[in-house]
Amino acid sequence: MKQWWNWRKRETELEKEIQHHLQMAATERGERGASPQDAASAARREFGNVPLVKEAARDAWGWTWLEDLCEDAQYGIRMLQKNPGFTAVAVLSLALGIGATTAVFSAVYGVLMNPYPYPKSDRMVHLTVQETIGEPLFINLNGPQLQQLRHAASIESVAAMDSWDLTTTEGDLPEDVQAVYLTSNGFDLLGVPTLLGRGLLPSDAPEGQDPEAVAVLGYKFWQRHYNGDPNIVGKKIQLVHKTYEIVGVTRPRFTWGDGEVYLPLKLTADPVRAYFPMTRLKPGVTRAAATAELQPLLEEFAKQTPTHFPKHFRVTLAGLNDHFVERIGGTLSLLLAAVGLLLLIGCGNVSILLLARGTARQHEMAVRAAIGAGRSRIVRQLLTEALMLSLCGAALGVALAYGLVQVIVNWLPEFSFPHEAAITINLPVLYFSIALALLTAIVFGISPALQSARPNLSAVMQANTRKLTAGVRGRRTHGVLIAGQIALTLLLLAGAGVAMEAFVRMIRVNLGYDQRNVMSVGIPVHDNTYTTWEARGTYFRQLLRKVSELPEVVSAGLSTNATPPNNGWQTRFEISGKPAGEEQRLRLNFVTPEYFIVLRISLLQGRIWYESEQMRGAKLALINQTMARKYFPNGDAIGGQIRLPEMKGEPPFQLAAPESDGWFQVIGIVSDARNDGLRNPILPSAYVPYSIMMPMFTQILVRTSVPPLAVLHAVRERIHAVDSDQQAGRNARDLESWIQHEPEWEQGHLVATLFGGFAILALALAATGLYSVISYAVSQRTSEFGIRMALGAMRRDLLLIVFRSAALNVVCGLLAGAALTGILNGVLGRWIQGSSLNVPILLGVVFLLVATSALSCFVPARRASSIDPIVALRYE
Amino acid sequence: MVYMVGYRRSIAILPEEKLVPYQNRMELLQGTLDLLILQTLMWGPRHGYGIAQAIRANSGELLQVDAGSLYPALHRLEKKKWIGAEWKVSENKQDVKVYKLTAAGRKRLTQERTRWEQITDAIAGVLNPAKKENQP
Repeated sequence: MKQWWNWRKRETELEKEIQHHLQMAATERGERGASPQDAASAARREFGNVPLVKEAARDAWGWTWLEDLCEDAQYGIRMLQKNPGFTAVAVLSLALGIGATTAVFSAVYGVLMNPYPYPKSDRMVHLTVQETIGEPLFINLNGPQLQQLRHAASIESVAAMDSWDLTTTEGDLPEDVQAVYLTSNGFDLLGVPTLLGRGLLPSDAPEGQDPEAVAVLGYKFWQRHYNGDPNIVGKKIQLVHKTYEIVGVTRPRFTWGDGEVYLPLKLTADPVRAYFPMTRLKPGVTRAAATAELQPLLEEFAKQTPTHFPKHFRVTLAGLNDHFVERIGGTLSLLLAAVGLLLLIGCGNVSILLLARGTARQHEMAVRAAIGAGRSRIVRQLLTEALMLSLCGAALGVALAYGLVQVIVNWLPEFSFPHEAAITINLPVLYFSIALALLTAIVFGISPALQSARPNLSAVMQANTRKLTAGVRGRRTHGVLIAGQIALTLLLLAGAGVAMEAFVRMIRVNLGYDQRNVMSVGIPVHDNTYTTWEARGTYFRQLLRKVSELPEVVSAGLSTNATPPNNGWQTRFEISGKPAGEEQRLRLNFVTPEYFIVLRISLLQGRIWYESEQMRGAKLALINQTMARKYFPNGDAIGGQIRLPEMKGEPPFQLAAPESDGWFQVIGIVSDARNDGLRNPILPSAYVPYSIMMPMFTQILVRTSVPPLAVLHAVRERIHAVDSDQQAGRNARDLESWIQHEPEWEQGHLVATLFGGFAILALALAATGLYSVISYAVSQRTSEFGIRMALGAMRRDLLLIVFRSAALNVVCGLLAGAALTGILNGVLGRWIQGSSLNVPILLGVVFLLVATSALSCFVPARRASSIDPIVALRYE
Repeated sequence: MVYMVGYRRSIAILPEEKLVPYQNRMELLQGTLDLLILQTLMWGPRHGYGIAQAIRANSGELLQVDAGSLYPALHRLEKKKWIGAEWKVSENKQDVKVYKLTAAGRKRLTQERTRWEQITDAIAGVLNPAKKENQP
C-alpha cells in the first residue's frame, strides 16, 4: 500500500517536473521574441517524446513492471467480463478445487501443524508405558511419586491433574460440571494467560493447607452457563454445596482436560490416590534421554503401587499430539490428497478452456507480436490473465471453504483430535490459499500461455479465418488433458468407492444386540460418598429400581462399564486347571441380570445369576460365545472356573467384593455382541455381577417404549429423588448415537462422505472438461462436417466421428487411471481400514465414468450431426 | 554545430528527430552525463531545466542535453542518493523540483573526475604518441 502511494506521488511529481521544464523553455523562447504558440511547440519539439521520457525516468525507479502488471490486470478483467460463460466455468472449477483444498488444509493445519496454544508444547510429554502388546497406557502417580519425579534431571517441571464430575447445586436439577483439579503450578506449566482475571497461583494451594476455594472457568462453560458475563470475576459458583470464588476465565483454546472449571489441587501423601502427571522436559533434552532416565524410576514406582502399572512395561514418552496424529493423521492426509486431485482436475478444466480460447485469440497474439511484443511479454500478459482467474477462484473458494470447514469440524471423530485445535480459516490458511492460487495459475496457465505466445505470424496473418479443420497440435494437448482428467477422476472415484463400501459394510455389521430405543445414562459418584461396599451397592440398586418404575421404561439394567459396542475392561485371566498364558486377556463387564434383557442378548446355555447372589457379591460369571469357543473348545465351559488376578479394590474409590481376585464359576454362555468396536472381531468376554467391583461411576441402560431421550428428564428426576446431589452425566445418549460416536464410525463417515462428495465434484468437472473440448472441436470442424454432409454423410456417421475422437482419449485416461489406482491401492488400503479395491468397485467406477463421458460427448455430437450443410459451409 | 549529449534508448522514429541529423550527435558514455550533472550541481542547487541550460552555457552552447536522457539520469542519481531533490516555490509561484549535491555525490564527483581525466589523458596519449616520447 505504501509502495502504491509512493508510486502515485512520483508519477505526479514527474509530470509536474516535465511541465515546468517545458514552461521554462517556452518562456525563454518567448523572451527571445517568438510568439507564445511557436515558443510552446518549439519547446515541446526540443524536449522530445514526453511519454517516452517519462517511461525512461520511471525505469530508473524500477516501476515499469508494476505499470505493466496493472495494465495487464485491467486488460485481463476486461477479457473476463467479455466472456462471462468462460469466466464462470473457469472460476467455478477453480473455486471448487481451491475451496475444498483450503477447507481440508485448515483441518490439517489446526490438528497436525498447530494444535496447541501452549508455548513450546513440543517439550510437553505424556508419561505412557508400553506393554508387550496393545496400545500405550497412560500412567497415574501418587503424591510422593510426583514429588520424586520433579527431581528427575531431564524434567523441567511436573504438575498434576485430577478430574471429577461435580454438579452445580443452584438449579432445580443438578447439572454435571467437568472439574479439572490442577496443582497450583499447572497454569504456569501450560503457560497460557487467562482471558479474564487470573489463573491458579501457588498461593491458591499453600503447602500443608487445604486449597483456597477459588475456580477458573473454562471458556465454553462461561459462555454456556453465564452467557459470557464480562463481570464474572469475583462472583461465586456453588459446586456440590461448596462455594468457590471465580477468579478467572480461560482463553477459548485453553481446554486442558476438557475442563469446565479448574480448581486448585493439593497433592496428598495417600499412596492410593493417584493423579495424572503433566510433564515438561528441559530444553534440549531428547525424549530418548528422558525415557532412559525415567525407566528405572517408574520401575521403582511400579513396586510401590503395583495396581497402577502393568506387569512388564517399557517407558514411552508420548508427545501431546502423537496419539491424535496416529488416529486422524492418515485420514486427513488422505483427504488432502483427494482434494489435491480435485484441484488438479479443476486446473485441467481451466487449461482446456484457455487453450480453446488461445486458438480463438491467435489473431490477437499475432498482432501483438507483429507490433513488437516479445514472447516473454505475451506470456506475462497471459499469465496475468490466468492469475486473475485463479484469484477470483480463490476468493470464491475461501467463501466455500467457510462452509466446508464447519462440516469437517462437526464430523471429525470427537476424540481423535485435540480440542485445543482451532480449525478455522485463519491467516496461515489464507496464505496457503493465496499460494495455491498462484500455483494453480502457473499450473493451468503456463502451457496455454506458452502455446499462444508462439504464434506463427505469417501463417496466422495470411490465413483465411475459414479453416476446414483445426490444427493437430492443439488437439493433441487437449487429448492429453482429457486423458489426465479421466485418469485422476477414476482414481478419486475408486477411492471414494472403497471408502463408501467400507463404511456401508461397517454400518451393516451384525451388532449382536438390539440398540433401538435404548439409552445409557452415566452416573458419576461424588468424592467421599457411598464409600463402603454395602452402601454403594445399595445405592446403585436403588437408582436402578427408581428408574425402572417409570411407566415409559420397558426394562433397565446397570452396566458399569458395559455399554456397547466397545465395552468391558481388558484384563488378564486364568482358567482353572490350564496353564495361564501371559497374553491371555478378556473383556470384563460388570452388569446386572437385566442387562441381557435390555440389550436382547440371549442366554445360550446355563443360567444367569440371581438377585440374591448379586447382593452378596457371589463370584459367578457368564462368558460369550467367542470365549467359550476359544478357551473351552470341548464344551466344558459351564462349571469351569476363571480367575481375574488384576481385579483388586482400591477403597474408597474402587470398592470390590471380598476376595474379588479369587476363582469365579462360569454359570452360562451368552451370544456374542460387538465389544471391540464395529470393525474389529469380537473379543472373548466375561460378565460378572456389578457388585463385584464398583468404581466412582456406573451407567444405567434404559429401554423405553418411546424415543429414549424424551424420557431423559424423567430419569434425571428419579435419580435426583434418590440423592438430591446426584446428577446424570452430560453424555446421556441413546445407543444409536453411541455407535455413531465410535471413532471408526466417525472416521468412516467423514471419509466416505467427503471422499464421495469430492469424487462427484471431480466427475462433474471432468464431464465439463470433456464437454468443452468436444463442443470446441465440433465448432472448429463445422465447415468440415458441412462438406461431409453435402457429400452424403449420414447423421450417424458424424456422431460416430465425434465419438471416435473422444473415445481414444477417454480410453487412454481409463487405462492410466486404472493403472494409477492399482499402484496406489496399497496406500488406500492402509488409510481406509477394512477395505481395499476390488473388481466390482473398479468396474462400477469405470462404468460410471464411461456413461458420464458418453453423455458429455452426446450433446455436442448431436449438435454437430444436426448441422444444416448450407449454414455450415457459410459458417465463419 | 550542436552536439546532442545523451545515450538514447532505441525509439521509434519521430518527426522531431529529423531536426538533428543523427551523425551530428555526440553519443557519450553513460558516466559522462552523470559527471556533467554532478559538476553542474557543484555550483549550487538547480532544477532540471537549469541544469540543461548550465551545461549548454558552460560548454559554449556546444553540448545540448537531451531531456530524454537528462530526466532518467537525474532520477537514477536521485535513487543512488548522489543528488537530493527538494520541492520549492519559484518566483512565479510554481512548484519546482530542485536538485542538489549530497555528500555521497560530492565524493562520487571526485572519483568520476579522476576517471575522466585518466581517460582523456590516455586518449590524448594514443592520439599524440610522439609528444610523449619527446618528454622523457
